[in-house]
Amino acid sequence: MLTHQLATPENPSRVIVLGGRGFIGRAVRAVLEAAGTPVLAPAGAELDLAADGSDEQLAAMLRDTDAVVVLAALTPDRGRGRAPLFRNLAMAANVCAAVEKVSVAHVVYFSSDAVYPTDLARITEASCAQPADLYGAMHLTREVMLRTSARAPVAILRPTLVYGAGDTHNSYGPNRFRRMARTERRIALFGEGEEQRDHILVDDVAALASQVLRHRSSGTLNLATGLSISYAELAHKVAALFDGPIEVVGTPRQNPITHRHFDVTALRKAFPTFQLTPLDTGLARAHREMLKAE
Amino acid sequence: MSRRLIGFAGMTHLGVNSAVAAAERGFSVIGFDRDGDQITALQQGKPSSVEPDLPELLAKNRARITFSTVADTLRSCDVVYIAEDVPTDDGGLSDLGPVRSLIDDVSRAMSVDGVLVVLSQVPPGFTRRLPRPPASTFYQVETLIFGRAVERALQPERFIVGCADPRTPLPGALAEFLGAFGCPILTMSYESAELSKISINMCLVASISTANTIAELCERIGADWSDIVPALRLDRRVGPHAYLAPGLGIAGGNLERDLRTFCHLADRHGTDASVVRAWIANSDHRRDWVLGQLHERVIAKTPEPTVAVLGLAYKPDTSSTKNSPALALLAALAPFPVRAYDPVVTPRPEYHPRLVRATSALDACAAADAVAIMTPWAEFRRLAPAAVAARLRGRTVIDPYAVLDAGACRASGLEHVTLGAPLPRGAV
Repeated sequence: MLTHQLATPENPSRVIVLGGRGFIGRAVRAVLEAAGTPVLAPAGAELDLAADGSDEQLAAMLRDTDAVVVLAALTPDRGRGRAPLFRNLAMAANVCAAVEKVSVAHVVYFSSDAVYPTDLARITEASCAQPADLYGAMHLTREVMLRTSARAPVAILRPTLVYGAGDTHNSYGPNRFRRMARTERRIALFGEGEEQRDHILVDDVAALASQVLRHRSSGTLNLATGLSISYAELAHKVAALFDGPIEVVGTPRQNPITHRHFDVTALRKAFPTFQLTPLDTGLARAHREMLKAE
Repeated sequence: MSRRLIGFAGMTHLGVNSAVAAAERGFSVIGFDRDGDQITALQQGKPSSVEPDLPELLAKNRARITFSTVADTLRSCDVVYIAEDVPTDDGGLSDLGPVRSLIDDVSRAMSVDGVLVVLSQVPPGFTRRLPRPPASTFYQVETLIFGRAVERALQPERFIVGCADPRTPLPGALAEFLGAFGCPILTMSYESAELSKISINMCLVASISTANTIAELCERIGADWSDIVPALRLDRRVGPHAYLAPGLGIAGGNLERDLRTFCHLADRHGTDASVVRAWIANSDHRRDWVLGQLHERVIAKTPEPTVAVLGLAYKPDTSSTKNSPALALLAALAPFPVRAYDPVVTPRPEYHPRLVRATSALDACAAADAVAIMTPWAEFRRLAPAAVAARLRGRTVIDPYAVLDAGACRASGLEHVTLGAPLPRGAV
């Protein structure tokens, strides 16, 4: 659950977006900039958070009125082993050291639903975070690091599967399905695509982050839609957006079927007027943007 | 008929209903409370709690009941019941301070051979630790039900009495009083009796939680819980009186208190309470059922929806709003206009920043995008779906307890959504 420190929302005076050049980071910056909020999003070349001394460098950038959004992380597509774990923790350690030096106004940490067990079918913010792999353990550790370091209100956001045209990660789901459909005219499922998952549009993730910033919220919130569908159904939805037939095929199942549903009551209570983009609308938008980018 | 004099200390819902029932059974009764306003109201025949038949029964037995703010009036009583409320916080944690203080006051006032019976909801271990003579100190399980308190007080299924030593017969005065009700009297240790109270409520919660859990799945897979209930009631292991009605979680305060007390004891003694915690989590989950339906069917599609809320009490025939799902809903609808009506509870501005107090159920529905029937008051069952449809701007009726006829709602063009029944299409 989130607690809003500001009952009447207001734009932060400035937001530092760490990891602002990535898929979600770009969307967050766009929403903030559209609202007229000054944003500072240092590129990796100017601020390597994993490097020694980056805490001093970051602290020098910070003002006590800033909100800091922490998105910077090596994502699973760049490895789930020990090396990315320690590099990610080093990045978090430097951010923690910086916000210990400069007491900022607000910290928003983008975690992941990977902190929950893979076999947990229904998830709320009260569900036990018990990660199954080092990537989930990394996020959970970073959550604790930031919560215990920052003197400011800390919001932990745990997005589920995020989709959108600008995604470069090619993880199993809408983005990969779209690419497969476009290049191969077929979408290959794991098994028969029975697993149910929740998919949230990157624009909604960014807009919710903006709401969290405007309310200076603290606590934990899952970012999900509350509506899960099977990968098979999802594949057919993606296929239907293309002209001409797209084949959806199953493959021999390698892993047991698991499902994931989110109870988004906490999100509805935190932001009662927020309207999530229906999946069909979001997929169509991502499809149009992909075509436009080509 | 001259009988024993029975005192009741604490003119709470429990105290008043128990006192009136004792008078109805022919006993002379003293009702004591430190609150002068409460006593004055009772002297005028106006109990503060809403219960069917209570004002009439109070008036009928008025001559046998003396109400007083003076503890010393209890001195002549043969038996004094402690009926003080044990307040709980939102998490169900008990504050035993007021009941301890009342027991001290009453003990000082009572005669040396007077019998004191704790009727308040206290945790196991409480009664034995009281600084009183064990032979004249008892604990008795109360099983009143809000909305059926008079009936339950007059015709108890059984009395459960906790004693310092259950092998010793009950004192004559207490045995005579309890015997007047003609039901079984079970005597046992203080601790067993105190845990009996919790056990009864836990069995109820187990049934309610089972109903809620299965009803939710029914909604998703096309089954109807109302079809299943008769089959369960005919099973002797479940029974005709089992609590099988799905609801919006556990409310009212008493059940929540017992669950918390059990968890607290289990934690202290290292026993497993995981199922109890699951019941609590399920209750919290189901409390928000209406909110979820409103979001999926109305709020996600309507920019500034107006919601009509019928019923604020946590259940019908009571003015209690303790842990009421309706108030939880109002809190979650803060940004939207709400029109609310309850036959007994007056909607207050602190419930909701944009609350409009409607004068009737139909007035609440005026130009609303959806109506949520949060308390199954009998009055709402008499609403004609066509009249509701004529007042509403939208079509959505969230009716968790199925107070309206689903077919009549559909015939009136309404989307009728109820607990345990297949959800109508329309959700996102």
